[in-house]
Amino acid sequence: MRLTPNTKVLICGIAEPLAIAHVPLMRDYGTQVLAGVSPGEGGRSINEIPVFDLVEEAIATVGPIDVVIVFSPAYAAVDAALEAIAAGIRQVVMVSAGVPPLDMVRLVRRAEATDTLVLGPNCPGIIVPGQVLLGMHPAECYQPGSIGIVSRCSTLAYEVALQLTRAGFGQSIAACIGADRVVGSSLLQWLQMLDEDDRTEAIVLLGEVSGDGELRAARYIAETIDKPVIAYIAGHFAPVNRSIGHANQIVASRTELGKRGKTDVATKVAALKAAKVRVADRPSKIPELLQRALNTKAKAPSAKG
Amino acid sequence: MDLLEYQAKALFAAMGIPVLPSQPIASLQELRELKIPYPIALKSQVRAGGRGRAGGIRFASNTIDAVAAAQAIFSLPIGGECPALLLAEAKYNVEQEFYLAVALDDNARRPVLLGSTQGGMDGKLSAGTVHQVLVDGEFSPFYARRLVLKMGLRGELVPSVSEIVERMYALFVQNDLDLVEINPLGVDRAGGLMALDGKVTVNDSAIDRHTELKCLLNGVVMPPSLKPVWIEGGTVPTPTANATHSTQGAVNGQGSNSTNGDRSKKNANTPIGIVCNGMGLTLAALDLVCRFGGNVAGFVNVGWTVGGGRPETLEGRLEQALASLSHPHPVRVVLLDLLGSAITLDGVVAVIHQYAKRHGWWRQETQPMEELPQPLSTPRSEGDLAVNSLANNLTLNKGRGPAIVLRVLGEPSDETRELIESLPISLADSLEAAAKLTAVLASAPQA
Repeated sequence: MRLTPNTKVLICGIAEPLAIAHVPLMRDYGTQVLAGVSPGEGGRSINEIPVFDLVEEAIATVGPIDVVIVFSPAYAAVDAALEAIAAGIRQVVMVSAGVPPLDMVRLVRRAEATDTLVLGPNCPGIIVPGQVLLGMHPAECYQPGSIGIVSRCSTLAYEVALQLTRAGFGQSIAACIGADRVVGSSLLQWLQMLDEDDRTEAIVLLGEVSGDGELRAARYIAETIDKPVIAYIAGHFAPVNRSIGHANQIVASRTELGKRGKTDVATKVAALKAAKVRVADRPSKIPELLQRALNTKAKAPSAKG
Repeated sequence: MDLLEYQAKALFAAMGIPVLPSQPIASLQELRELKIPYPIALKSQVRAGGRGRAGGIRFASNTIDAVAAAQAIFSLPIGGECPALLLAEAKYNVEQEFYLAVALDDNARRPVLLGSTQGGMDGKLSAGTVHQVLVDGEFSPFYARRLVLKMGLRGELVPSVSEIVERMYALFVQNDLDLVEINPLGVDRAGGLMALDGKVTVNDSAIDRHTELKCLLNGVVMPPSLKPVWIEGGTVPTPTANATHSTQGAVNGQGSNSTNGDRSKKNANTPIGIVCNGMGLTLAALDLVCRFGGNVAGFVNVGWTVGGGRPETLEGRLEQALASLSHPHPVRVVLLDLLGSAITLDGVVAVIHQYAKRHGWWRQETQPMEELPQPLSTPRSEGDLAVNSLANNLTLNKGRGPAIVLRVLGEPSDETRELIESLPISLADSLEAAAKLTAVLASAPQA
């Protein structure tokens, strides 16, 4: 994906309070928000942006759209994304939170069939500092540079971006994959995109205790990624999960963590370290590890995969 | 949230999954008007597993036995919960017990069918004995047959068990469930099938669009409003807590701190609460406070907006979080870090101040802290310096409310700054500085 100040954006659910608050911030950042969709609001304009009843109607008037950002209510969010896909749009950012998991199963099936990139739901989207803001990242935490951030959690990404910015490391892109149970794209997919992104020199991976996305990511890094990766996993001191019942235990045992019979941060840290990832034990260590990684890389450029 | 067995069975019956004749019993009197013939099973309607072993299922062959059994079950807490209802159910002669379930695989992002011929209370259910079929495309009955054949079934049981799996899948999709489980599915000598026990978990995000499920749940406690995750024994257990709890401890990763020199043992048990927006940030705050030697009693993520009873505004959730950390285990220091949120620092301070006033948290007068503990040692970074300079201006909290360490981006107005100076609120400019200050405050002598 190539995101620039010329990226054309359409907002689904533009009349939702969160959209009303954040669309002006996106526009102030230079993002080209060409149109909005909100059923029943067609013909109005909100924040000086023309509103339509259908995505296809909007495209007919304002021209091609590169990215749709969905702010629609939770139960209408997947429908909005499916509408965007039907209108030929292949990049969808879902900000809406609390989307029912089985709705997401339908969307994921459709996205896979159409080769559509879906980010979220329940995520603040993407920022390419100095170029374009697709969602809700607070601009003051970021500055342009060459560090790519991929994170499970929104606010932890802001925290780390701010520390990088304060330490003089700008960012090439930051994406948060979303906090809902079923999300459109994984840490692994975003690592792949950051690896291919020529503006990104090093990658910061921010994970947490639950799930096993970090272990899949570790395996992918070991096999494929050549760029330096720094990771921080939150939740060293989080209480151990309560018993989750037979079916869920068995489903969990399908996953990497389940196979290892462990579900803690230490397992993830060990897997990442085995993949030659530098793991910070606290967010403030990330800039230091990054500096070291970049120094090493400058001295001895290696070639993997 | 989990449905009770009788509610799950009502859904099964409506979907055409065979269940035994049964009758919910709310009082002993109702046993005298029983519509099902003896012998019966009386089953405690609680959510906890292992009811049978705990004594929550008893059999009776006449009214006298039934009343005695019911009395015993009503007063028997299982998993801390006494039943409000019993389910009286006809008996069924079982030849075999199967396990069937439909669940969601978060990683594959698809529903998964699960089945085993070794179901029942003492069934050995594990990844080794339970067969799985991922529903990767649109569902069609062949997925169910695939599972049934994997389970090793042949002959008449293939269509009959497949049909039950199909109906479970339909129930799963139509009601937005997280889980449908039948354990055991009883098989009698003639090959007849009966869902003898069932578990249904409703998805909390989707419940609002299922009015019939809401009706079914009517009168049942809805999921809690914003509640902290309490850490049993805290993150720095007292020696007694260590002795009484298992050596695993209540908290993950405890073994890994021995190398961490930041840990201070002084006043290690002053309980700390953490309030952040976003789970990653909350967990990062938890980790940092622990590394600085703080004893975290509980944490709340106020970023999560979805679910029963949570206020829609961040202001509302913030108030609820402050309230929740005051009861039943009042914390003495709260780390509050809201990053990229809709409210300004002024707004957050106003919410805290209003709440504190209403609940008489803090006495009017404050006084400079006379003696500051010294776990900061030599400053190592700008953050440390910031903490030290802040710590010098600390005020001793003499009220019953907690001291608050606040981190919100942006500068306070002059008015807010004055207000902050008169209250036990300290500002920090990074998560780490906030965590360190929190640990320092918690190790200070408490009023």
